[in-house]
Amino acid sequence: MNADLLRVLGLWRSRGWWLVAGLSMACAASLAGLALLALAGRGVAEGVTPAAIFAGSAAAFFWLRPVVILRPVFRYLERLVTHAATFRALADTRVWFFRRLAERLPAGLGFRRAGDLLGRLVSDIDALDRVYLGAIVPGVAALAAVLAITVVLGAVSLPLAALVCVPLALALLLPPLLAPGAAAAGERVAVAQGSLRAAVVDPLTGIEDTLAAGAEGRAAARAHQEGTALAAAQRALSRRAAYGGAAGMLLTQAAMLGALAYGLAAGDTGVAAAVLGLFLATAAAEAFGLLPRAGAALAAAGASARRLFEAADQAAPVAEPTSPAALPKGHAIKVEGLSFAWAPDRPPVFDGLDLDVPEGARVALLGPSGIGKSTLTSLLLKLAAPQGGRITLGGVDIATLSADSVRSRIACLTQDARLFDDSIEDNLRLARPDAPEADLWQALDRAGIGEMVRGLPEGLATRCGEAGARFSGGQARRLALARALLTDAPVLILDEPAAGLDAETERAFLETLGEATQGRSVILIVHRLIGVERPHRILRLAAGRALPAMG
Amino acid sequence: MGRVRQGEGAAGALLRREARAARSHLAVPLVLGIGQVAVGIGQAWLIALLIARLLGIGDAGWAELAAAGALALLSAAIGIAQERALIAAGEAAKTRLRNQAFARLLATGAEDQRPVGERAALVVDRIEALEGFLTRWLPAAMLAMAGPALVAAAAFSVDATSGAILLVAGLLVPVAMAVTGIGAAQASRKQFSALDRLSGRFLDRMRGLPTLVLFRQQEAEATSLRVAADELRGRTMRVLRVAFLSSASLEALAAAAIACLAIRHGAVLGLTHPDPAGAIFCLLLVPAFFAPLRAFSQAYHERLAARGAAAELAPLLEDDGASPGYRLEEVPNKLVVTFQDVKLTYDPARPPALDGLSFRVMPGETLVLAGPSGAGKSSVLRLLMGFRRPDSGRIAFNGQDATLLAPAELRRLCAYVGQRAHLFRGTLRENIALARPDATPAEVEAAAEAARVMDFARGLTQGLDTMVGEGGFGLSGGQAQRVAVARAFLRDTPLVLLDEPTAHLDPGTEAEVLDSIRRLCAGRTAIIATHSRVAQRTLGRVLEIEAGRAVGTRMAGE
Repeated sequence: MNADLLRVLGLWRSRGWWLVAGLSMACAASLAGLALLALAGRGVAEGVTPAAIFAGSAAAFFWLRPVVILRPVFRYLERLVTHAATFRALADTRVWFFRRLAERLPAGLGFRRAGDLLGRLVSDIDALDRVYLGAIVPGVAALAAVLAITVVLGAVSLPLAALVCVPLALALLLPPLLAPGAAAAGERVAVAQGSLRAAVVDPLTGIEDTLAAGAEGRAAARAHQEGTALAAAQRALSRRAAYGGAAGMLLTQAAMLGALAYGLAAGDTGVAAAVLGLFLATAAAEAFGLLPRAGAALAAAGASARRLFEAADQAAPVAEPTSPAALPKGHAIKVEGLSFAWAPDRPPVFDGLDLDVPEGARVALLGPSGIGKSTLTSLLLKLAAPQGGRITLGGVDIATLSADSVRSRIACLTQDARLFDDSIEDNLRLARPDAPEADLWQALDRAGIGEMVRGLPEGLATRCGEAGARFSGGQARRLALARALLTDAPVLILDEPAAGLDAETERAFLETLGEATQGRSVILIVHRLIGVERPHRILRLAAGRALPAMG
Repeated sequence: MGRVRQGEGAAGALLRREARAARSHLAVPLVLGIGQVAVGIGQAWLIALLIARLLGIGDAGWAELAAAGALALLSAAIGIAQERALIAAGEAAKTRLRNQAFARLLATGAEDQRPVGERAALVVDRIEALEGFLTRWLPAAMLAMAGPALVAAAAFSVDATSGAILLVAGLLVPVAMAVTGIGAAQASRKQFSALDRLSGRFLDRMRGLPTLVLFRQQEAEATSLRVAADELRGRTMRVLRVAFLSSASLEALAAAAIACLAIRHGAVLGLTHPDPAGAIFCLLLVPAFFAPLRAFSQAYHERLAARGAAAELAPLLEDDGASPGYRLEEVPNKLVVTFQDVKLTYDPARPPALDGLSFRVMPGETLVLAGPSGAGKSSVLRLLMGFRRPDSGRIAFNGQDATLLAPAELRRLCAYVGQRAHLFRGTLRENIALARPDATPAEVEAAAEAARVMDFARGLTQGLDTMVGEGGFGLSGGQAQRVAVARAFLRDTPLVLLDEPTAHLDPGTEAEVLDSIRRLCAGRTAIIATHSRVAQRTLGRVLEIEAGRAVGTRMAGE
């Protein structure tokens, strides 16, 4: 068991009672199976002396009856409880994984593949079920069986106990012994699962571009290749599992044959003990079940756990302050001497940027594409941290504030603002969950899209599709704009609010911008002004600085 | 309900078809499986002799013990060989089915409204579920007949009553499983739908993670995800409960068989029994008899899972995935595009996207589509790309009905940049070369230069070999837009279709890109949808569209 799997178990601590209950059921079922065959063995052994048939074995067969009934019941309950426990734990793990990603990837997936992350959420978390169901449960049940057999046979004859229990104990050790050898194959399976899913998700995400480039054949070939790699990895892992299964079978057979050999060697005196040993070894074989194969499953689960933690443990782009300062009352923004580059080998975006946005001010920020307008948004929202200089909100350095509290004051319509595959209403309410319906309509009207939504047969309940795919580009953009207007944050950043809008709609929106954002500070990021925005101040970004400019 | 039943029928047909195809691959594992049962019978006989010897009957000894050990080794070897054969048998079928389903998803991808994560679950998770059907259920089902029959025959040869007891128990197994499995296929379908929904939702939310985080809704989303994950758990447990019940019923049957045999042989053991070794042999046969049945019962939920999985897969696999339509003999270098009274409706509850649109574009001409957003500009381009088919009306290339061409052939004529052009994870160069993988590096660089990609790529230490993330991570909106336009430059086709090619560009860059676009369109047929005033003024004839109809036309500069 490696450190990653132990950490998985740590995540499942809150389901401890469920997991322990499953283990006790498994032990009960295993011991019931043992008792069944022990009683049967005693019955057979006592059958040797004719006189005992009606006395001894009758008693043994009498006790057989409740055990015969109890055993399937225990087995059923074991399966039910262990699986219920596992799937609860897996659901917890999925939610945990999402929370971590939200915490560590607030600015987006970066160079990660969305399909691969989906694979981690689905396949890798699924693979973890083997840790408990495939290894711990049968392991503990088999251990209980072996201990019980050792005690029972040890009381009868030590050599017999050794002959039966040593192979069984070896079988018990198979999973941890075989897991390291299967580690490479397990790793390949986990990685191939993720790559296959990414190979499927990627071209489907950019389906129009894939088809337009006539790349569907190439996409299919890549998925085929990843599928073949997965199959090869699964084959290697299954072979390991088959070896484990065969070794386990041989060891339990060895225990049975050992009991018989003891009987042959010991002669008449050892008959009863040998028959008991034989029956107990048979019961043990059943208790072991698929345990000897668990080595391969453990290796796969270990690799999956590692992939999960690799994604969940990456550093957040901006570390949270250990003891965040209290949120100030004011919301004036001051940027002083800011310097920033996305990477050391990339040219700096800002080099001594100063910017002042007093409360209630409307500032227009101009500049060509790629000059850093969106980067400034990221810095203001703590999606990235400056390498030099500072940003204050209400006089407090935002580096000392929690990201969440900063975002409660500053709302933003980003360039890549996304509509989710939900209703229009659900998408709007992301900005303000408790907004009354009248406010939703007001925001829609201000974004110039209210009329269109009113015309939809399902109105606010209309589904948007992934990334707003069910609407035209301009309509989707205006829905996102309405959502940004709906927030009650006192500072609003609008990054190209009119991108993809026709000229009339753009003009109509910008003319009413003042009314729509009454009483709030607004940072309007645009390529050019069309003359109706009436900003209090116009700045142009150039060479990493903001310079006063004319519209 | 009608649709559900239809799905069930198609799922059943798919599984039957696959089962027929798999049968020949399963001959070897089946023979090996029967061999293993035979070895098990031999082992039971040897151990019965040895137990009889312990009880003072017969003269079996170390030789029999050694033989039993040898048979155990043989059984282990057969087991390994059988598993290998099964894995190989499943692989080919899985690969074929996945390729077929994925090809189909790609072909219909542009109009499929299901979330991408959901569709990905179809070709990944559901295909895996079919493997269990082919490599575990089918062989287990075949062995469940042959294996127990062999064991019962062995019992018959020793004691007819014992054989009969085993036979009766065996015949009760399918009855018990059918009773416990009622409604299970439905439960399994729902399980897969729950998995699809979880996948779809997660992928959608991952892509928009910044939007969730900036609105501080990640906790609310975690709660929603918990609901989806809990639904999957509930559905999974419902399926498993059936499988557990069928296992339990099998165990009860096995216990009953042992009890019956013990009553038949137990009381007379060692006293007046005519054949004690035979009696013990019959008892020892019980595990060998039930082993194939147990495998059958364990694989039973594989069958349920496959049925659930097949329900949504069947429509994807029904035909061979080749899209109908004619092929092009050659790519013409001049193209006249005609729209005649074209109508298109996405959603019957909403007004049509195109409502009787007509226009014609000549070779060397550029047509600019203008009009408010939602007027139908993008729909025109989508129809020309074969992403959609018109409900009525005629679209013609050089006078020939374009909708008769296979969509993939249609697209050989077009260079297209959509409104939401997608950049894949890879280098800038790879993203541009997507449009024409056989392009030389010089050609890619020329396209990058023409689309003004080099303007910013020159400032990057790795130039065109700089990595970008999915959706253009690392680039500004305007930079990503230019990479997409570079694809159109590289493609070199008679028809150029551009949707908002200058969105996100500042006026300076816009003027430069428009200049390049003018050069791109020279000598080709071009249709460009744009809101940009500058583009409308300078590119060519402007067709004003409103609510899917042409409302006016004006020449460039008017």
